[in-house]
Amino acid sequence: MTVQVTPSVEWINQCYEHEGDHEHVSLYLLRAPEGTVLVDSGSFYHREEITAAVDEATDGDGPDAIVLSHSDYPHAANVSPLGGDTEDVELVASSASPAQQGLPDARKCDIGGSLTIEGREFSFIDPPLADRSHTTWIYDHGDGVLFTADGFGNYHDPGRCDYLSDDFPESTPTDRIYEYHRDNLVWLRYVAPEKVDRTLDDIFASYDVNAVAPIHGNPIVGDDLDTYRERLRESIERIASEHSVA
Amino acid sequence: MPREIEPGIHWIYEAGPDRTESWDLADRDPEWYEEGQEAYVPQCAYLVDGGDETLLFDTLSPASTDEILAAIDELVGDRGLDYLVVSHPDVPHAGNALAILDEHPETTLVAPGYGNDHELYRLDDGVHVTEGDEIALGNRIVEFHEATFLDAPVSVWMTERETGTLFPVDWMGFTHLDNERLVFVDELDGEFDVSRLVEFHGRVLFWYQYVDVEKTNAEIDALIEKFDPEIVAPAHGLVIREDATEYMELMKDVTRTIDEQGRVGTLG
Repeated sequence: MTVQVTPSVEWINQCYEHEGDHEHVSLYLLRAPEGTVLVDSGSFYHREEITAAVDEATDGDGPDAIVLSHSDYPHAANVSPLGGDTEDVELVASSASPAQQGLPDARKCDIGGSLTIEGREFSFIDPPLADRSHTTWIYDHGDGVLFTADGFGNYHDPGRCDYLSDDFPESTPTDRIYEYHRDNLVWLRYVAPEKVDRTLDDIFASYDVNAVAPIHGNPIVGDDLDTYRERLRESIERIASEHSVA
Repeated sequence: MPREIEPGIHWIYEAGPDRTESWDLADRDPEWYEEGQEAYVPQCAYLVDGGDETLLFDTLSPASTDEILAAIDELVGDRGLDYLVVSHPDVPHAGNALAILDEHPETTLVAPGYGNDHELYRLDDGVHVTEGDEIALGNRIVEFHEATFLDAPVSVWMTERETGTLFPVDWMGFTHLDNERLVFVDELDGEFDVSRLVEFHGRVLFWYQYVDVEKTNAEIDALIEKFDPEIVAPAHGLVIREDATEYMELMKDVTRTIDEQGRVGTLG
């Protein structure tokens, strides 16, 4: 089962539970003009569920292309099971040293550049919220979806795994956004929050974003984009203010 | 071929790709660069031999599986590898963990106790270490520390007590030239150029462009006071075995410089 995010983007939703909290470790399927494109390949922890979901969604054909936000295992662990190591599936990654990242066969996308994949234009954006240097955010020019890899995540309670942001009573809760970024982007404790915010402003001014699709959170749609941004700003300010040098 | 830093502490080196062209070094010609040379950001792993037991800190990248297995064989021989420590699960640091454990089933996997996603990295079965945990290897004792400047939340730093060596993983990495492979910093020609550190941190630790300079530099002061190391052994630079705290002081210039000029570029 997939969850429709925009007309041609579906969410292949997987969750990982720790201490009662759920954290998404998802991927997305785009139906591009010339074929299907996966954004990320998910974790080996969910390999069986992911390969079954992709198989069902593509009528057994599998994807035509896989675009990786980065090589971290929760994002890139199913390249081979999904056919990304074959000539039938185009593999695209941002790494400049694919062999060192364990992706020796990847076609390189340049951060800051664009590529047409399966008839769809994608731009690759230098992300202000990430945990690895070679991460790229991926903007889909077809539906205006911004795939934010590790950024824009949130934890959620059990039972809310399939929610889009507008399924929550008052959109994605602030404390869940804060907890996710506190735990996973540890370096935020050192930031000057306004610097991050300026870069986010630039990205949202440069790209017409209709939905944000994080790998580790519920997709953010419609008016919730502004709400999430505001809550993210509060969360980053809180993370930075809570850390003092011993 | 590994190089011994101090008796029982061995530096295992992987050059990685030449960065000269992708970083436009020939055109930009930074002060540390010499025309015609190739430039590298290495991957380093370290093997600590305490006489009684042996420990490997990080694994090199998947591009060097044969090399790391050969280095382990060379350094531990029939004695075997007792501990494999994964500093963090980034592919270039941990990408050979399974190959090493397959080859050395006697080895105990040691993983950071920080973070909450261990199963996603197959690190749930390892021994988890946090601040102050120690492993005694005989005449060497390693101690683990919360990683201060890091990328992955599942991270840990390490020190070796007898030699006063700090292993700060991604922090304090820097570029070097082709003829400087496996060279100690005190063996380099001329004065060490801080822009080597800027080049690395302004690309790889991309978040430096967003930090509060005063707070970050206060943290560097706290690290110098806490560790006061004799040797700094970074994962992405050359080993510093003299005046180590002076090089840690240089990191405050790195913070200020990146604050002024922004991100140098991507790893590219």
